[in-house]
Amino acid sequence: MPVTASTSPDASVSLRHISHSYLEGVRRHVVLDDLSADFASGEAIALRGRSGSGKSTLLNLICGIDAPDAGQVIVAGHDLTSMSERDRTLYRRRHIGFVYQAFNLVSTLSVADNIRLVLELNGIGGQEASQRVDELLQAVGLADRGNSFPDVLSGGEQQRVAIARALAHRPAILLADEPTGNLDDRTAADVLSSLDTLRREQRATLIVATHSNAVAAACDRTLELRDGRLVAAD
Amino acid sequence: MPALQRASFGYLLRHPWQLALALAGITIGVAVMVAVDLASSSAQLAYRLSMETLNGNATHQVVGGPGGIDECIYAELRVAHGVQNIAPVVQGQAESGDRTLELLGIDIFAERAMRGFTASASGADGLAARVSGLLTMPGAVLLTPRTAGELAVEIGDRFELRVNGRTRNAILIDHIGSGAGTAALDDVVVLDIALAQEWLGMAGRLSRIDVRADDDDAKQLSRLLPADLEVLNAGNRTQTTAEMSRAFTTNLKAMSLLAMLVGVFLIYNSVSFAVLQRRNLLGILRGLGVTRGQVFRLLLGEALALGIAGALFGIAAGIWLGEQLLVLVSQSINDLYFRVSVTGVDINALSLARGFGAGLAATVVAAAIPACEASSWRPRLAMSRSVIERRAHSLLPWLAAAGAGCALLSLLLVQVSGDSLAAGLTALFFLIFGLGLCLPPAVRWLTRGCAWFARRFAGNAASLAIAGVAASLSRTGVAIVALAVAVSATIGVSIMVDSFRTSVSSWLDQTLRSDFYVAIDGGGDMAPSLVADLAAVDGIAAWSSSRRAWLETPEGRTRLVALKMAPESFAGTTLLDADPDTVWPAFERGEAVVVSEALAYRRAIRPGNTLTLQTGPGPRGFDVAATFRSYDANPETVLVSRRLYDRFWDDPAVDSLGIYLEPDADAQRVQARLRAATGDRAVLSVRSNRDLRQRSLEIFDRTFIITHVLYWLAVGVAVIGILGAMLALQMERARELAVLRALGVTRLELGGLVTLQTTYIGLLSGLAAIPLGLLMSWMLIDVINRRAFGWSMEIVVDPAVLWQALLLSAGVAFLAGIYPAWRASRAHPAQAMRED
Repeated sequence: MPVTASTSPDASVSLRHISHSYLEGVRRHVVLDDLSADFASGEAIALRGRSGSGKSTLLNLICGIDAPDAGQVIVAGHDLTSMSERDRTLYRRRHIGFVYQAFNLVSTLSVADNIRLVLELNGIGGQEASQRVDELLQAVGLADRGNSFPDVLSGGEQQRVAIARALAHRPAILLADEPTGNLDDRTAADVLSSLDTLRREQRATLIVATHSNAVAAACDRTLELRDGRLVAAD
Repeated sequence: MPALQRASFGYLLRHPWQLALALAGITIGVAVMVAVDLASSSAQLAYRLSMETLNGNATHQVVGGPGGIDECIYAELRVAHGVQNIAPVVQGQAESGDRTLELLGIDIFAERAMRGFTASASGADGLAARVSGLLTMPGAVLLTPRTAGELAVEIGDRFELRVNGRTRNAILIDHIGSGAGTAALDDVVVLDIALAQEWLGMAGRLSRIDVRADDDDAKQLSRLLPADLEVLNAGNRTQTTAEMSRAFTTNLKAMSLLAMLVGVFLIYNSVSFAVLQRRNLLGILRGLGVTRGQVFRLLLGEALALGIAGALFGIAAGIWLGEQLLVLVSQSINDLYFRVSVTGVDINALSLARGFGAGLAATVVAAAIPACEASSWRPRLAMSRSVIERRAHSLLPWLAAAGAGCALLSLLLVQVSGDSLAAGLTALFFLIFGLGLCLPPAVRWLTRGCAWFARRFAGNAASLAIAGVAASLSRTGVAIVALAVAVSATIGVSIMVDSFRTSVSSWLDQTLRSDFYVAIDGGGDMAPSLVADLAAVDGIAAWSSSRRAWLETPEGRTRLVALKMAPESFAGTTLLDADPDTVWPAFERGEAVVVSEALAYRRAIRPGNTLTLQTGPGPRGFDVAATFRSYDANPETVLVSRRLYDRFWDDPAVDSLGIYLEPDADAQRVQARLRAATGDRAVLSVRSNRDLRQRSLEIFDRTFIITHVLYWLAVGVAVIGILGAMLALQMERARELAVLRALGVTRLELGGLVTLQTTYIGLLSGLAAIPLGLLMSWMLIDVINRRAFGWSMEIVVDPAVLWQALLLSAGVAFLAGIYPAWRASRAHPAQAMRED
């Protein structure tokens, strides 16, 4: 299915009977087992669960990096499971922003270029891209660090660059995998604030995998992954 | 540049040493290829230009048998038949000091239509002076300004030339040649035809008659000629001579391709490393929505840029290297085939384009595999190393199968491709490539055993270093293959050269049976009267004589050797496929000829067949009695008895005599008597068989200098590759090494571990190179040499070659490991762990 270039106003996520497992040696580990859930457009969801419970796997399925063994992943009206790998990649490029625990900035590019990269991939260049980069750097409080390279930034600064990059192309869905996991409490609060502010401005749906109570408290709903299924958190 | 390209290319710029080594691999590969191509083509071009200049406007040439052409025939053509646009030529060689010059005797009045340079002089007065000088002044000659300068001769100066064993007084009356064509005339001495006949002992004879005519007129002309004369196309004749060296230059080009093949492995290695080390970056990019096609194009585009830069550097380096190799190539061609005077490398666009294209193609092909693999990765961030290694290990059975398939294909190709040299070389490359593919599986198997031994006898740290080679097979495998291929080339070529040298040496021992050999100093014809006088000298028990001549036909040239055998001489010629007791009597009676192994192979001739040769009375068939072993530089030879030669060819001269002394004769005295018997008719060169053998082996060794140079260049490429691989490997393991440091491993111990690992890689490569080298030597001897030259020889394996190769490989790897070891030991553990 071809993916359209514009961001869809519909930012809902619907998971239908998702199952996913992986092989480790000769043993098969079931991570998600007939999981179903719906996330409304613009909603902020916190995913909690023990390490290895499948939170990251679920995020990878929603962004199309992985495909489930069974079931359907419907994001903004697109059924990812019926798409080719290339279409899923293009879908991810245009509709998804991802913030990782380990930042995953491109070390060979400056801070500004890390953000510009995503814009260029989405066909936004020139003055428009520069203006957007400046706005985002301003928004995350790093207006004076645009020419710096990631390895000279602190963890909190790197994560703020990662948030700016994730939201640069105004994605419908923002996914975050332990975004404050590598940060101290105070820095984590700053980062969370940046994330929340920008997400609300763009009315993006946020799904965040986290162990942090503070992050979960900032979300509309908290779900817990247990035995491969999502249940409401206690 | 878009951010995506900058993100990827920025990695290379941040690792300049890796970039430099990858560039160096491509550069040297292309440089060697371009250099050999330029040197070979320059030598051939110089020869062609020289021949074209010397032939002038001649379109055809009338040639005769070994004794040349009776000059009356020229007069008859001119006067009786009124043939215009023909010019007589007497050609031969002269020496000035150590320098060999070409004598070109011309009839200045017939030259105007043929060779402009002989008649052109400044103004009418100049021309008149030149004509008058050449005709009237004893010893008058013309030289190019450059040759005159190198001989330190000015116009009006007298100087000595040695021609046909006698010293002649020449006087330089003018310069020849001007402008672009001058270089082709270097080392040529132009003189009047009568003087050339006198100096060369060719009274009444011509070397050839140059003709300027279209093909129809040439056919008409041939009808006017006696049966022993042929009208040949001048261009084809030059081409045929130039092609004599083709097998030699083809082999050189194959050696240069070997350097390129090693280069391909290294380019693959460099690109693989660059890709593997960026797996995290590529994972991030894929996560951000970069498609597989974009990743593939990104990496391939990068390799293309690298290839273009490397190929351009390679071309520049190749031109320089070509200048150096040209000396060796032209020396070998002079020694073995024809006289060629080369003043500089001819930079032709085709050679450069070939090198550039090959470098670029090699880079793209080598890069396509890792690029394709990287683009197929699932976009999991930080693709784990274990996954990549697992994948590499899962490929091993396929690699082994593909390798075995290539090797089998190679053997099949040898069987079905007849005597095609190109197919033989392709088979050789298939064999190298196939066995190279088998090495990574062999490394894993061998390393398991070695790691066990290391753990048992040298502790866990040593075991870690050795096991790390198999654990990082995706990185170490290609480096091992590249080094093994380069080292195997040294083994293969060394065994081939040793075997060849041993065969030539024993052939010389067997062939050179006379006590000494007599010839005209500097080369020349011995007249029958001189031969008779020399043969009558006291103290000589027996003598043999030989006369070497070319027989020319429109189909090509055949070397004819007329032998008058002494009783002891027969044993000096090894017959390969017939009984000497039957062959030699028939040979002596003139009933049969004997052909060289190479000629029999090339023309599929067997004993009992008939061979047609151009004789005085016209073409005639001769029975072939046997084939004989010969490692002569002109391997396609027909031996005929002197009796047969005298019957069918009008050429009473002899080139050399083999003298067998009476048992109690004193060699020095006999030599003195020989010189006395010669008197002032010529200066004799008397060489003992030991001298002659030594001189032959010197020429042999000189011929193979360039081969050695080329394989050392291939080793050079491999050294660069192994250095790059070791650096990249240690960088890859930076965190693991930092953990070891954090656990208390000292810098020295860490450096030792890294060195142990690299040396182990070298030893593995060396071990792998031994069977590969042995197979390569078999291929070079039994397939390539056989097809190129028609020679067969015994394979001689000196164990020293094998252990030297092992030492070379381990030594190279040890040296390549020093810098990475130093780097690893200097790295700050905390920083290294943080950066990973």
